[in-house]
This record gives sequence, structure tokens and C-alpha cells, in this order.
Amino acid sequence: MPKCTINGKEVEVKEGSSIIEAMQVSGDRIAHYCWHPGLSVAGVCRLCVVEIEGNPRVQIACNTMVTEGMKINNTSEKVKDTVKWGLDFHLINHPLDCPICDQAGECGLQDQYMEYGKYDPEMAEAKVKKHKVVDLGPTVVLDSERCILCSRCVRFTEEVSKTNELGLFNRGDRTEIGTHDGMPLDNKYSLNTVDICPVGALTSKDFRFRQRVWYLKDGDSVCNGCSTGCNIKVYYNKEGLFRIKPVYNEQVNGHWMCDSGRNAYKFVNRDARLLKGVARGVEMAPGAAAKNANEVLKNTAGDAIALVLTAQYTLEEYEAIIKTFVEEFKTKKVFFWINNKETFDSFDGLLSRGDKNPNTKGLLKVMEKHGITATWNDLSAGLANGSIKTVVVAGPENQVVFPEYNERLKELSKAQNLIWMQSGKNEALSALTGNVWIIPMKTFVEKDGTFINYSGLEQKIKKVTTVVSEALTLTEAALLLAGKNLAMPMTAPFMPTNQRPDQVELEHRKKNEFVFRRGSL
Amino acid sequence: MAETKVLTEFYHLPEYQTLAGYKAKGGYETLPKALKMQPQAIIDEVKASGLRGRGGAGFPTGMKWGFLPKNGEPRYLLCNADEGEPGTFKDRMMMERAPHQLIEGMIISAFAVGSHKGYIYVRGEYVFPIECLNKAIKEAYDAGLLGKNILGSGFDFDLDVYRGAGAYICGEETGMISSLEGLKGQPKLKPPFPAVQGYLRKPTIVNNVETLAAVTYIVKDGAQTYRKHGTEKSAGTKLFSVSGNVAKPGNYEVPLGYPLLDLINKECGGMKPGRKLKAIIPGGSSAPVLTAEECAKANLDYESLAGLGTMLGSGAVIVMDDSQCMVDMLGVLTHFYAHESCGQCTPCREGTGWLNKILHSILEGRGRLQDIDLLVKVADNMKGKTICALSDAAALPVLSFVTKFRDEFEFYVREGRSKVKGTTYAEMHH
Repeated sequence: MPKCTINGKEVEVKEGSSIIEAMQVSGDRIAHYCWHPGLSVAGVCRLCVVEIEGNPRVQIACNTMVTEGMKINNTSEKVKDTVKWGLDFHLINHPLDCPICDQAGECGLQDQYMEYGKYDPEMAEAKVKKHKVVDLGPTVVLDSERCILCSRCVRFTEEVSKTNELGLFNRGDRTEIGTHDGMPLDNKYSLNTVDICPVGALTSKDFRFRQRVWYLKDGDSVCNGCSTGCNIKVYYNKEGLFRIKPVYNEQVNGHWMCDSGRNAYKFVNRDARLLKGVARGVEMAPGAAAKNANEVLKNTAGDAIALVLTAQYTLEEYEAIIKTFVEEFKTKKVFFWINNKETFDSFDGLLSRGDKNPNTKGLLKVMEKHGITATWNDLSAGLANGSIKTVVVAGPENQVVFPEYNERLKELSKAQNLIWMQSGKNEALSALTGNVWIIPMKTFVEKDGTFINYSGLEQKIKKVTTVVSEALTLTEAALLLAGKNLAMPMTAPFMPTNQRPDQVELEHRKKNEFVFRRGSL
Repeated sequence: MAETKVLTEFYHLPEYQTLAGYKAKGGYETLPKALKMQPQAIIDEVKASGLRGRGGAGFPTGMKWGFLPKNGEPRYLLCNADEGEPGTFKDRMMMERAPHQLIEGMIISAFAVGSHKGYIYVRGEYVFPIECLNKAIKEAYDAGLLGKNILGSGFDFDLDVYRGAGAYICGEETGMISSLEGLKGQPKLKPPFPAVQGYLRKPTIVNNVETLAAVTYIVKDGAQTYRKHGTEKSAGTKLFSVSGNVAKPGNYEVPLGYPLLDLINKECGGMKPGRKLKAIIPGGSSAPVLTAEECAKANLDYESLAGLGTMLGSGAVIVMDDSQCMVDMLGVLTHFYAHESCGQCTPCREGTGWLNKILHSILEGRGRLQDIDLLVKVADNMKGKTICALSDAAALPVLSFVTKFRDEFEFYVREGRSKVKGTTYAEMHH
């Protein structure tokens, strides 16, 4: 473990650490663009310069290893001047379109110029013009003029996704990022290039121009797109969720996440959600619908009741609902609805797993704890011979990963009474008539709990925001189904969107919050 | 003292290009001797000779070979024949007139460093030298001088010519390796150095054409004989490619330490009639320029030129007489470097373009007096701040031209025309 001195402080670092890594340990700030801890060292932005005692020239911190006794400094005038000029070199051909740039507010160039910049620019020549609005593929748009050629995105496609779509073309100040001939940027991890782009050169087609980032709040959570359980940050405001980005976790996902996981925000938003509970064709508040279902459950208790669970809820929710059914309704007919059976165990070698549920291990753990051994065949047989009369389903939050949804719905709707709980809208479900109860549920960003990922790692999630305040967690639903009460009254009628204080009115959705608050000019 | 032909003795003979012609003059006589030596003995001999890389950097060749790991891993020998620096054309002559000399030098060097595969990386525009090399390589294979079990020694060595797609920076050793690997010609970060991790991430030695050819003579006559030429720190002879306003431009082989003005006046026939020497770039376009007064003190060796703030480089001597406009000349150089920067490191990518734009603003009559100082500031902040030396190559001429001929730049800014030629840029070039 070599010891070195950084700006006068002694620091001990891991063997083989670079100076820039040592500076992360010491907490010293250092300008940099091309260095990224998840990628190889390129050493091209030339901003992370330091002075090393005994060396007449400034050195780059990303490609210089710490040695025992090394004395490093990045606060000298020589270093500051080099960084100032380095930033000026970055800016001389960069367009000053910050007001319309999608990266404004989280741009590395803005941030670092504010901290280290040379506020007396001397470039009087015309800027180099490059390509704008380059369609790189299905998810990403490039603005070449904004690109500072840090090559992070190129290295990502070479080293992480291993798809090699991107390259640096041309020479000198005509150099541009681009895709190799006839090859769009189209891989399962393409949006990571947008995350690691330090400027607004690569933007997500899905997110660009939809919100200014300073109108968004963020909260940490765990992706529920598959059993990997990538750590994520969810960006939202009162209009709903707008994007999901990965959060570094060495044990789980490193720095990355897949593109499909990023879509998880879409089924959370109000437009995609079930808002009203239904009890035998009558619309009511979700809680009221759940309470209403208690009557039929009471009357069919025992083996005539079946509980069907998807692996998309939290460990605590499984504990609550299974316990309720085993103890209150005296049934062990609890069934695991497995989706994507053929690909359930597949893995792409990076992050994405065939099991598209966040908590399969959690569900199986609780089922095992309660000695549940029932199989889907038992359920099918029970439905066929009429011994199972009432079926309660905790359906998927993310219906996209349940391609056989309609088929299962058809099978389960053979029961005399069907009580279906889920968060998202579904036409086939809404079309059911008769003894059907539909109970809107909360999504993963609206509740606390635990997911257990494919490796058995328990990860806590915390409530990030509320999108449908009337919706229930599975725990709340379990209480209401058992005829118990929650602290909050469940008899209130469904509250229309425009009467709720925390929701933006529909006609203002397209506008940003600032415009909404201050009104039109 | 005059021309000393160690490498170039038989270059005037057309038959010297062929295997038979080369053998008739003692060619391939050193190879059997070398193959009977211990490889380390050859490395020691090269070290003792004081041979320094003739491509431009002047790094001691034997020391470079000594950096190879001793673990027996496969390693490559690459001959750098990219020769892209303006004014440099010495290797071209060797490849055209004495290709077997290079091949013999490469076989001996490969044996010394333990390589069984070599490439000669030639710039794409050198069509005729490539033809000459390919022909000579075929002759060598047919004669059992290349391939398996060379001359029954048990040593195998395969050699190919690789035609580069054309970029100045492919002459930088790591840029050359990238290009040879099929990637864009961009220099790589060092460390790791090629001797440890080079072509295909294997240990690789990159030497210039002239360096490899000199190895034969060192093994043949011994290090001490080679050391009889040149100076203590700059041993041997060196090829100089002289271009510009001299009576007889061309390649000349002289011992290192030879006076610069003797090369111009004695070998090259002096300046063109009626013209006076104004300045010389002694080591290729990336070297700082010397004024006529400084040229009088300059000897053609590493230490003398370093003492004058310039460098021997590749030995490309570019001579300018009193008719040359230094602003215009620098405009040509900055345009070249802006065009050739690989675009990887920011100070070089943006700085070379910026220098070029400032220079052309001045040349086109839009210059401001502060632009002259700005040229110096920009160049200063490019120097020593990038992966390879292209940024320095672009910055050093700017710094030396502006410093030593500032009056011409100031006149151009004030008057919008050349002090020397009296004309505008448009009149000069159209």
C-alpha cells in the first residue's frame, strides 16, 4: 500500500492506483473529462494534470501510477494555468448553445469551466462547423459540435458492450464521433453512452427536450427490470417520472444498466396506471374495492381460494399477503406465476438476465418459509374441476415482460370470483365482467421494501415519490382483503386527477413546472 | 572532412538493388557471422557502437533493445519506413537503391532481439520503394535468407511490407503500431512502451530504416570501427536529406558532428546563385529554425544542435535563402500540422487548428498585433502536453519562427503583405 502526499496531505492508496484514483481517496478535486473509472485510460483530454516533485513537466494523473513517497500537487499556478488553457482548447470549437442544450445543468464543461476556467478567452477565429442532429440509432442522437472527443462513448462500445459501433473519424479539429459504415448504435446498453458523455453531444431520444434537468428531483431505487437489481436513480417531478439512470454499485451493476431497465419509468407514470378500483363492475377507490372483496374471500375460505403471485413485489409484501392467506383464509394454494419460462435462466454476460422480475428469490424464500409446494398444474386442475372458486392475483407491475399475460388472464378468469391486483392498465383486464375485482397497486418507486436479486443479495428500496396516491401496496391490500382497516379511511371515493393537490393538470403536462407555476407570460 | 559513405557507398550502382548486385559488393556476408554470435553479443556490440535511432528521437538503439522482457514471449521487429515529415527523404533512397541492405540489417536485428516476424511499415505514397522492397524480399526468400532455418542456422524470420494509408502520425511508433493493427493511426499512451507491450500487445521493437541498415555495419566491422565516425555522444555517420534553396538538394551521408555550413557549401554546392542564407531547419519541419548566424555555429550532431535550442531529428535539412518569407513558410507548416494532427489529444487537436487559423488570418491581412503573442501562448500551451510529440512538432517551429523573425510577422500584420516579397498572400500563391 504505497503512501503519497497530495497537496500536502499524506494518503495511503491501493497498490497499482493511479494519481487520479488517489485523489478520489484524498478527496482532492481534479479537472477531467476522458477518465472514467469504468473504462480504460485514454489520456486525451489532458486536464487531469498534476505536478510531481522532481519532474519538470506536468503529468496526467490518469495514466501515472502512485509510487511510494510521491509528492503530488494540483494547486500550483503551473497546473492551474495548464488546466485553464486545456479548457480553452476544449471550448474554442464548442458551440455556445447552453440555453438550448439538453445537458445544461449537468454539463461537465460548464461545471469545470466555472471551477477552473480561463475567463479571458482569446479565440477570435471562426469555429469549426460539424454535423448536428446526427441520428446514431434507435436511442441516441449526436450533436458533433458539442462533442469534446473524450472518447468515453467509443471506449464503452469497445470495452463494455463490445459492440464496436462507434469510432473517431477524421483528423485534427475536424475529428468527429460517428458510427462505422452502415452500423447504427443499437445495442442493449446504448444509453450508457449518454450517461457518460460529459457534454450534450449524445442525448437520449427518449428524454431530450422533455424537461430541463433543474426541474427534476431524484431518488435512489433498484431497477425492477430483471433479477440483477441494478441500482438506479429515478428522476421525477409532479408531472411524473422522466428518466432512470444507473448508480454505481460494485457488487451489482458497476457503473451501467441496460436500456430496457431504463423504460421502467414509463409504466409508473399516471397515463399507464390503473387509477380506479372496481368491484363487480362498480368503480370505487382502490382501498374500497379491496375491502369489498373481503366478503367473497370470507365465504370461500380454505382450499377454494388460490393466491397467484408474480415476482414483482417486495419481500415484505409477500410476507404480509402469504401470511394473510395461510393464517386468515387457511389456504396454502399459493402459486408462482413464472413468466418467460424458456429464457428464465439466460444471461447476456453483462447485466441483463432472462428472469425479468426483481424479486424471484424473495418470493421463493417466503413461499418456502410457509411450506408452500403447490404447482401451476394444481391450479389449472383446481380451476378445471371447480374446486378453486376464488382466485386472487398480484399481477405484474411491468406487463411488458409478461408476454403470456392475456393467456393467463383467460385461464384465471374461469374462477367464479377473480380479484386482480396490479398497477398498470390492461384492456383485457378492464373488459372482464361479473365477479371481478380490480385493485390498483403502487409501483416500486412508491413504496419501501426489499428485493432479493439473482445472487441472493438483499437490497432495500425506499419510496421515491407518489404517482397514484390512492393505489395500495400488497401489504395494505392484504389487510383490506382480510377485512381489516388501514389507518387512512378507505371509503373515500376516487379523487379525480384535477382535484388532487400534488398532480399537475393534464393540459399543463407538456409544459415544465416553472411555466406551470408562474403562468404564461 | 567530406562525405563519408558507410551506408551509401554503392548507391550509385543500379545492380545494387538486386540480390546478386548486393552480394557482389559483400552483401549478406555479415549475416552468417551474426547468426553464429550470441544474440546478447550483438546487442552489446550495438550498445557499444553508440548507435542512436535515426528516425528523429535519437534514442540509443541498444538500450531500446535491452528493454525487451527476457521471458521468451513472442516479439515483433517493426521497421519504421513511414517517413512523413516534410523535408525528409533519406529512407526512400535506401529502400529504392539498397533494399537488401535493410533486409540484412533486419534479419540480424531480429536475431539479436529474438523476433521471428517483422514488418516494414512504409508510407502509402512510396509506391516505388514498396515495389523495390517486395522484389528484394522475394529474392531473399528464394535464396533462403528469409523464412525457416535461415542459412541452416535454425533461426526463422518472416518479413512483410505493410503499406500505410497515409498519415504523418503513423511515423510515431505507437501510431504506427495502431495502424499496423488495422486501427486508426493514433499514438498510444506510454507506459506501456512498445518494447513491453506493442504490436498485438506483444513486445515490439520499432527502428528506423537507417538504424536497422547501420546494424549490419556495426556487426561487420565492430563497434569501435563505427565509433571512429562521429562524436563521443553522436557516433557514426548519418544521412541528411537537404532541401530548399540550395544549389544541389539531395541526400548526403556525413559523419555526425559535421559542420552544418560545410554540408550546405561543400556538399550541396552552396546557395542558389545570388542568394544569401537566411535560415535553416536542421532536423525536419518539427525542429526549431536556426538563423544564418546560428547556422555558422552548428554541427550536425545531437549535442551541438541541442545546445542551439534545436534538434537533429530525422536529418532533414531545410534551407531558406533571403527570398523566403518566414510568415508564409510558417503558414505552410501550421497548415500541415493542423491537417495531420490525429485528433486525439485536445491541446493538439484544437491547438494546431487554432495556430493555423491565426497564421492564415495574418497572411490574409486580417491579423492583429496581439495575434503574434497569441501564437506564442497557444504554442507554449501545446508543448509537452500530449500523448505524442506532434503537438511539440507543431509548436516548436511557431515559437522559433515568431521569436527569431518577429519583425516579419509585425510587418505583415501592419501592412497586410510580406516584408520580404512585398506581396500579399493572394498574390504570392495565385
